[in-house]
Order: sequence, then C-alpha cells, then structure tokens
Amino acid sequence: MLELFVVLLCLSIIASGILAIRLGGTLAAAVSGGLASLFAAVCYVLLGAPDVAMTEASIGSGLSTLIFLYAIRRTGNAKE
Amino acid sequence: MAESILLLAGGLIFLGALCGVVRLVLGRTVVDRVVAIDMLTVISISLIALYAHVAGRFVYLDVAMVYGVLSFLAVVAIARYLKGGV
Repeated sequence: MLELFVVLLCLSIIASGILAIRLGGTLAAAVSGGLASLFAAVCYVLLGAPDVAMTEASIGSGLSTLIFLYAIRRTGNAKE
Repeated sequence: MAESILLLAGGLIFLGALCGVVRLVLGRTVVDRVVAIDMLTVISISLIALYAHVAGRFVYLDVAMVYGVLSFLAVVAIARYLKGGV
C-alpha cells in the first residue's frame, strides 16, 4: 500500500516536471515547479523523513516560487 | 470498520488529487492553475495527516502544520504577482 502511494507520488513529480516544460508560460512553469516540490515533500513524509519534508515544503514550495516570481518580474520577461 | 474508513479516505484523497491535476493541466488562465495548486496543497496536507494517523507517528502533524502555513505564503505571493508587484 505504501509502495503504491510512493510510486504514484514519484509519477506525479515526473508529470509536473513535464508540465513545467509543456505549458509554455513562465508563470505556469514556476507554479509547476512548486507543484513538483509539493509532491516531493509528501513523498519524503511517506518515506519517513519529516524534517527533510519540512525543509522541502518551506524552501522548495514557498521560497523558491517567490524568488522565481521576483526574478520574472525584475527581468520583465513574463509570458502568459 | 476503521480500516475500511481509512482506505476510503485514501481513495477520496487520490480522487481529489486527480481532479486537481486535471484542472491544472486544462486550466485556461493562470488563476485556474493557482487555485488548482492551492487545492492540491490542501489535499496533500490531508494525506500527511491521514498517514500520521495510520503510522501512529504524530510528529508528521507538525509537517502538515508548517506545510499549511507556507503554502498559504506561496499562494499570497502569486496573487501579489498577478496584481502587479512582488
């Protein structure tokens, strides 16, 4: 049962990576990157590493999305 | 009885995640995708809480709590970006 959940989450990480390439917009790509780290954090919890999951959730999903948005805004290359 | 309820909860969580991913892929505007991301975050928090109960390790509830606070931060940052400033 646990293995099934972990495999589904890993497939979701791969799918969100492909989505970040295929969606064709900088903001959508940043959001999809946040989605990948969201699934990775849940995967870490299921594999028994709650501290790594907490760091991944705070840095990967929160801070890196924020920095990506800041960089897109500063460089002025936003594309829907 | 309790086992079947937990199994049903797991199935519902994955059904909800599937709906969120469909909305994320088909989303016409960026706002649709942001709402789908927020929904997927809430679903992930529920999955972590369910797993904390199943595994009997209540440390995982702290992870769910931190996750809830920080995902809220990310959604607020995206909303501020869409409004016109970061």
